[in-house]
Amino acid sequence: MTPDTVHPRGLMIGFVIVAGAVFMLMTGGRSTGQAPAPSAVKVPTPGQFPPYRAPRTADGTPDLNGIWQAFVTADIDVQDHDAQAGPRPDMMGAYDAWPGGQGIVEGGEIPYKPEALAKKKENAEKRMVVNITSDPHRHDAGDPELKCYMPGVPRANYMPFPFQIIQTPHVIMMAYEYARALRTIYMENDKTIPQEPPADSWMGWSRGHFEGDTLVVDSKGFVPYSWFDRAGDYHSDALHVVERYTHASPYHIMYEATIEDPNVFTRPWKMSFPLYRRMEKNIQLVDFNCTEFVLDLLYGQYSKKVDK
Amino acid sequence: MGKYVGIFWSALAVGAAVVAFAPIFVAAQSAPGAKAAARTTAKAETNIDTTREANSQNWVVPRMADGHPDFSGYWNSLTFTPLERPAKFGNREFLTAEEMKERFRSGLRGSYEPGAQGSEDRYGGELFNPDSVDYDATTYGLSPWQNGIKPNPRTSLVVDPPDGRIPPLTAEAKARLDVGVRPGGTFPYVVDDHHGGAVVHADNARDLGLNTSCLTQSGGPPLIPAEYNSGLFIAQNPAYVLIETETGSEFRIIPLDGRPHVSSDIHQWHGDSRGHWEGDTLVVETTNLRPDHTYRNGDPRTQKITEYFKRVSVDTIEYKFMVDDPSTWTKPWSAIIPMSASTGPLFEYDCSENNNDAVNILAGARAFEKKAAEGKPISQK
Repeated sequence: MTPDTVHPRGLMIGFVIVAGAVFMLMTGGRSTGQAPAPSAVKVPTPGQFPPYRAPRTADGTPDLNGIWQAFVTADIDVQDHDAQAGPRPDMMGAYDAWPGGQGIVEGGEIPYKPEALAKKKENAEKRMVVNITSDPHRHDAGDPELKCYMPGVPRANYMPFPFQIIQTPHVIMMAYEYARALRTIYMENDKTIPQEPPADSWMGWSRGHFEGDTLVVDSKGFVPYSWFDRAGDYHSDALHVVERYTHASPYHIMYEATIEDPNVFTRPWKMSFPLYRRMEKNIQLVDFNCTEFVLDLLYGQYSKKVDK
Repeated sequence: MGKYVGIFWSALAVGAAVVAFAPIFVAAQSAPGAKAAARTTAKAETNIDTTREANSQNWVVPRMADGHPDFSGYWNSLTFTPLERPAKFGNREFLTAEEMKERFRSGLRGSYEPGAQGSEDRYGGELFNPDSVDYDATTYGLSPWQNGIKPNPRTSLVVDPPDGRIPPLTAEAKARLDVGVRPGGTFPYVVDDHHGGAVVHADNARDLGLNTSCLTQSGGPPLIPAEYNSGLFIAQNPAYVLIETETGSEFRIIPLDGRPHVSSDIHQWHGDSRGHWEGDTLVVETTNLRPDHTYRNGDPRTQKITEYFKRVSVDTIEYKFMVDDPSTWTKPWSAIIPMSASTGPLFEYDCSENNNDAVNILAGARAFEKKAAEGKPISQK
């Protein structure tokens, strides 16, 4: 490790350790009356990670390869929410009841413009509207997740499904089990790819670079149709997302996303949560091509009625 | 069937960049394309003499940090070569230089002069049938010359058996395929003029087949090209290879660590792939295919596709696949498709998110039925 690559947090904790040792020397170590504890493994404290420096790939960048998954309930609501019955409790019972959970939004509030907050509430009320037309009006109402449309960013990262990072020197692929969505993060060293989005897309146009141990991904060029959650939180085609992926341990990545959209929000806002490495020996993505499961939902209104 | 082919191909083109123009795809005719083609054909045809030979000088296989050949980047599997060898070539594997140039030229011309150059043994129908492209491909960057296609000296893609033909079906397969199993990846519904002109077998989205209902645009294995959008992107690191197909933005993740296949209780749209190196060749074996998405309607219990990727020049991967399915074919068979270096990026292919065709075809079928029930059938002529 060269001095210029020491993570600031490592420096900080190193300073604390040194300061503590100096204090122990000055007091003769008598303050506790006990021998210092061996560097035994302690029960981890949530929210606190010991200093960690990620392993490197062959080209020297932090190695993010792996299959990762968030364990938050943000897909239901990125903000604090109670547990609630699913849409059809008479039929689905506990199978489709939604868990409560604490939000992932920094500060708790999403800084909506007044008219945008009204739209969010309308979205939530109409989240199960499905009116598929042969034009973009199909996106006028309803949660895209219900229709198995692509999850967009950052929602893809906290869907209750794993995703796989495949890192190469020029691109980092993020392959999602949910709806087999795929993101290509073009690294800054790839000069063959346009800087600006050549076309709008659900998963956006993403450029990446490393800042120390952190992968920074800058994404824009989004279609205005994806949502952040089932609670109707949404964005426009001016969405700009800056994500930071920072190794916190061999088994965790701290994820942070800054959301900017001047059409919808009064200021940028942040969300953060840990990603967990899936450790099953035989872990791999399996298909969740949910389009198969929504054909009747989407096109039932155009289908021949069949007596069952 | 032919009546709806235009609509079908527009479904394949549904992507972020082009979806807004879907109606134009159907409406645009060949004449403007042919004129544009005339201006560009001469340039495109220079590919014949300047690619493989010139590039082979001093070329060495590019390698990853781990020493294995580097397949990463953009490739295109488009071809003018038929899958099976036309009978006139017998056991002859390669074209003469003149035949190769003529096939390439006529393939380029035919690709934007629909109908003008139609010849069944030239295109093999299945892999490249310009008669089915009824809009100006050059407008959208979809023409072959815009995708790096290069001449292929082979008379057919099938190289084994030596006659270049797919071996006969087994008796079991003949019986299985005769009972009306819906062919995956082919046009799945028919126009029946004998029932009041109604579209039949378009009762619901599933009837429209895997492509039009956006369940899959194939994506292999094997990586079979279509008329356009046959682009591929390969990302590679020491542990995994990811292959993304332009059509459908579908991907296969191939572990290279020698792990066993998933259990036979798991079925995947693109199977379960495992890769390993044999010298400089990347070998990928795939099993665990879904019953409704095997290659050429093979038997999902027995079908194994083995793919061999080999870099043979600066701008070509020699891609070979072997189909081993003893309950479907009397012996294994193999084909070679040259993949040409291409340029990126691949655009997101949001199929279900913009599926106009499912709405229009189903709504059309309901309209036919309604009119027929009123005694006023709509003519499709």
